[in-house]
Amino acid sequence: MGISKREEGKKVNSNINVTPMVDVMLVLLIIFMVVTPMLGDKVHVDLPVAAAALSMENANKEDAVTVAVTRDGHTYLGQNMVNTGDLGAKVAALLENKTDKEVFLRADQRANYGKVMDAVDQIRTAGVSQLGLLTEKREQ
Amino acid sequence: MGMGGGNQGGTMSEINVTPMIDVLLVLLIIFMVIVPVVPKGLSTLIPQPPKDQNTPPPEQTIVVQVLANGVGEPSYKINEDSFAKSAIEPKLAEIFATRQEKVMFVKGDASLDYQKVAEVIDFGHQADVDNIGLITPQVEAGH
Repeated sequence: MGISKREEGKKVNSNINVTPMVDVMLVLLIIFMVVTPMLGDKVHVDLPVAAAALSMENANKEDAVTVAVTRDGHTYLGQNMVNTGDLGAKVAALLENKTDKEVFLRADQRANYGKVMDAVDQIRTAGVSQLGLLTEKREQ
Repeated sequence: MGMGGGNQGGTMSEINVTPMIDVLLVLLIIFMVIVPVVPKGLSTLIPQPPKDQNTPPPEQTIVVQVLANGVGEPSYKINEDSFAKSAIEPKLAEIFATRQEKVMFVKGDASLDYQKVAEVIDFGHQADVDNIGLITPQVEAGH
């Protein structure tokens, strides 16, 4: 270790440590690698608040059938917008290989209930009798 | 401070462990903070068309109706009796306390906001009714 002469007059340190910068960069990289898949998935819907909501972990599964109805009345199956008329056939197609026919409905709390009922009717034609209405849980 | 591990040519081979531990702790905190979100919801049933067209509807079905009142707050009825919103849950709890089969149906006007109907379904679950059926135009028409 050589002795570096520190001149009292100049207080500027021009030997910047790169190592901490690289550490911070790597940590940020890892944060974004972890968070990004969770962000892009879902159609944006404001779910209604319910006090008696139960956990429905099946809704997070890869093959869960999720129908969303947004505030402006559009119906989405997964990420794709569909016409309400086609919804029944598409849901039936998705449910062909599954044993328990459960569909999850994410409808905006201000969505027109008539549109929601139309979506439910279509889901019904696919032979589904169990419907999970996804909600936020109200803090008690 | 002694000089450790001096190699030929002056290259330093001692790695600082401290920054590694810092990074490790930061990662630990990040993963503790990113808690996976479990979706929560209300389970409901959709009545399927009856196979046998001649079976009469079972007696004593409870139908909770949410009626839109134009711009104002909706009004609520349980089987033809009107109730205030805050009275629904106690009344449902009372009705179902004595019942074996806890089944109820919810019907709402098409012009309502979904939130209003979701609240009624919520009241049903709070009153311990597990089987809540949604009545939609097709269900009413019987197909």
